[in-house]
Amino acid sequence: MTSTVEVTDLCRSFKTSTGLLWRSHRTTEAVRDLSFSVERGELFGLLGPNGAGKTTTIKMLITLLLPTSGVARVLGIDVARDPQAVRSRIGYVFGGERGLYERLSAADNLRYFAELYGVSPRSQRTRIAELLELVDLSGREKERVEGFSRGMRQRLHIARGLLHDPEVLFLDEPTIGIDPVGARQLRELVVRLREAGKTILLTTHYMLEADLLCDRIAVIDKGQLLALGTPTELKSSVDIGQVIEVETFGLPQTAIDRIETLDGVRTVTASVRGHLQLLVVQGHPGAEVTGSVLAAVDDQVVHRVLTREPTLEDAYVALVGGS
Amino acid sequence: MSAARIVFIGGLLSYRALFNWLNPWIFIPTLVLLPIFQILLFAFMGRQANLESDQFFVIGNAVQSASTPCLWGMTSAIAGERSSRTLGLLLASPAPRVATFVGRAIPVIANAWIVSLISFAVGAWLLRVDLPPSRWPAIAVLVLVGSVSCTGLALVLAAISLRVRDTATLANSMYGVLLIFCGVNVPLAALPGWMPAVSAWLPLTRTIEATREVAAGASLGHVGGLVLHELALTSGYLLLGICILRYFEASSRAKATLEVV
Repeated sequence: MTSTVEVTDLCRSFKTSTGLLWRSHRTTEAVRDLSFSVERGELFGLLGPNGAGKTTTIKMLITLLLPTSGVARVLGIDVARDPQAVRSRIGYVFGGERGLYERLSAADNLRYFAELYGVSPRSQRTRIAELLELVDLSGREKERVEGFSRGMRQRLHIARGLLHDPEVLFLDEPTIGIDPVGARQLRELVVRLREAGKTILLTTHYMLEADLLCDRIAVIDKGQLLALGTPTELKSSVDIGQVIEVETFGLPQTAIDRIETLDGVRTVTASVRGHLQLLVVQGHPGAEVTGSVLAAVDDQVVHRVLTREPTLEDAYVALVGGS
Repeated sequence: MSAARIVFIGGLLSYRALFNWLNPWIFIPTLVLLPIFQILLFAFMGRQANLESDQFFVIGNAVQSASTPCLWGMTSAIAGERSSRTLGLLLASPAPRVATFVGRAIPVIANAWIVSLISFAVGAWLLRVDLPPSRWPAIAVLVLVGSVSCTGLALVLAAISLRVRDTATLANSMYGVLLIFCGVNVPLAALPGWMPAVSAWLPLTRTIEATREVAAGASLGHVGGLVLHELALTSGYLLLGICILRYFEASSRAKATLEVV
């Protein structure tokens, strides 16, 4: 039995030119020898940093871009050779506020795309009502989209992607920029779609989301596959040692640089959380680094220190940080 | 059936979605008042300079007023897909492209026809141009022909504006070209030698000529040659527009030139 999505040695490069009189040309390899497959009914995650090649891969799978080389098949159909056959059987949803007709109502947006996907006039009304109910927008269908919140728009995007009842759904960062409540509603919706038997390929930056939702995950960076497996397999496949989280105030870059050079420290990431700074230090397996890390921030105000088991995010940072 | 629905229902929905001049606060000043001001301006200049009759200016400017909704409407209805980031969704759909894009021309034509007829009627009334009621049906038909022919050219501009992005510059420039080259305010015979050669390849030139003849008493049959010539040119522009759209879609898949999502 063939996989629902099959990607074999897929490559995509872009040629760019700059300059008016003396033009210089550059080739960027966005996707390089990428191979993976997604089985029927599976919720498959594609993770990677910005510019990793996730969206380029999805664009090739939904027939908007031709591969430079390699083969991609969706439902057994070559996306480069028979795009039309693929288009009618897949749905595509991307994140962000755009991609809807602002001046039209939610119902008219759906009606227009129903026409484009050849949804029969008889079933359109019922189908649109069902989908509005599914995405919790019933009663708002006559309102113009320009007044919708980001979460409402995103739910409407999903309804649009489901109009023709596609077998495969491509979700490109669907929860980006949505508040926690909206993101949770969307995740619940994605779970319901998987339970309804849809095959879903999801790209996201949110590790918790990937960990919660995905059956399997492919981590890519610089267009190449770094790891592939279930969230549990990914966590255990990366040899991560102790993880220490330090909450502090106004930690200078010199202190972060000092911690990076400590014996036993593998990676250090710093991020701002409200008025605090969160320092996440991954140690090498078997290395005890808590003492030396705390010594390095001895002259700083430390709010809280926590040691914990590695998460998918730690595995991701280890994979991408080491690539 | 599906293609027909995309042409008529899809065309109207996308036109409503993307042509933001349909707001009365923009529609009335831009598409109703401005053409009338243009008629009055040229008619009064003509009177001052003892040039052509008021009827000459009413016909030229009223027929040419169709170009505003055609050029801006068509380019907005197609290039607007890019700014609203719906182009990728459209191209990823299995919808037939010709039906999808040409369908948008129908509301554009209807809008242009209405705008042109209003300009004609109000301009003639304000300047006391005496046109017998029996000539109005033929004039309405010719104004429709002019709206169709201008929409053909607008489809070409709309297709180009998908790639060059600067919709307003293209539409503004073409409006000026039509105003000068099509015999709107200056008879073609009075233009420098090379200019009528350009006029021959532009829409509206023959419509304006035919409308002036009909207003002067000729029958529709008498101007049939001009109408057929105009429609043949329109077909050429429509075909060119569709070819450009198809080429851009194909090259976008190969070179990512439309930044579709």
